[in-house]
Amino acid sequence: MNDPHDDMLDDLFATARKGTAQPGHDLIARVLADADALQSAPAPQPAQKPGLWTQLMEAIGGWPAVSGLATATIAGVWIGVAPPAAVEDLTATLIGDEVGVALFSGDLLLGDEGLIDG
Amino acid sequence: MSLALSPMSDPFAGAPDATVLVAYAHGDGQAARVLTARLLPRVLAQATRMLSNRAEAEDVAQEAMLRLWKIAPDWRQGEAEVSTWLYRVVANLCTDRLRRNRGGVGLDQVAEPADAAPSVAARMQDDARMTALSDALAQLPERQAQAVALRHLEGLSNPAIAEIMDISVRSVESLTARGKRALAEILAGRRAELGYDDE
Repeated sequence: MNDPHDDMLDDLFATARKGTAQPGHDLIARVLADADALQSAPAPQPAQKPGLWTQLMEAIGGWPAVSGLATATIAGVWIGVAPPAAVEDLTATLIGDEVGVALFSGDLLLGDEGLIDG
Repeated sequence: MSLALSPMSDPFAGAPDATVLVAYAHGDGQAARVLTARLLPRVLAQATRMLSNRAEAEDVAQEAMLRLWKIAPDWRQGEAEVSTWLYRVVANLCTDRLRRNRGGVGLDQVAEPADAAPSVAARMQDDARMTALSDALAQLPERQAQAVALRHLEGLSNPAIAEIMDISVRSVESLTARGKRALAEILAGRRAELGYDDE
């Protein structure tokens, strides 16, 4: 025997499916007016693509990042040229030897046959 | 205003809906009329069956078609059927509206079918029953309401519903079974009021 609640539900569903709803003139007019309005609206302009430099700047975080990057670069170069004692100790510990870099030869600057002629 | 299109006046006769939609996006002057003729009756019928309210169903139908016009420029042929997409949009719009407007509907808001000529009384009873069904749907969780409506009001197959709702067929079966059980419980106390006890 069927559950009477299921019978009621099935009847409600069947009644709902029987219903027909044809769109009236007013609804059709509203729908077509929307379609016309959207079709005639100018297409949104795509945002202008930023240049390569702007994209690069945005990628690294803008001007503050650029200035930080420049400072870090200069500091790195300076540490390479004139390493503080602590860095020298560290490199000696890690590498086992001290590495010195001279940009200019002492002979070139001060030697007998250098630019400064004594 | 009539939407009837003869084969002679339908420049898209035989073309899929997606093709007509792309033509609309490219500015074709006939495409919107053709799509409206093809799709609006079914959209309105689905909304009416779920909401049992003509004015609300018309608002939903207009909104669903508006969303179709808006998505037209981005529509990619072959990814989905326009009809499947519309079933989903209408189901979502209807459950939104049911939850917003009818969550707490009272029994006294259902029309009384008494004291009227037989045919009128029968129609009023049908209206009362449809309103009761719609109000009961409003009390279900959204996904259950959508699955039940697509299965039992639209008569769609479980695989079709699975595609519309973007879930597995097994999930559809579970949602419709639980939804139907919940509907039966919600409506159980209204049998007499809806004229089922004396049938």
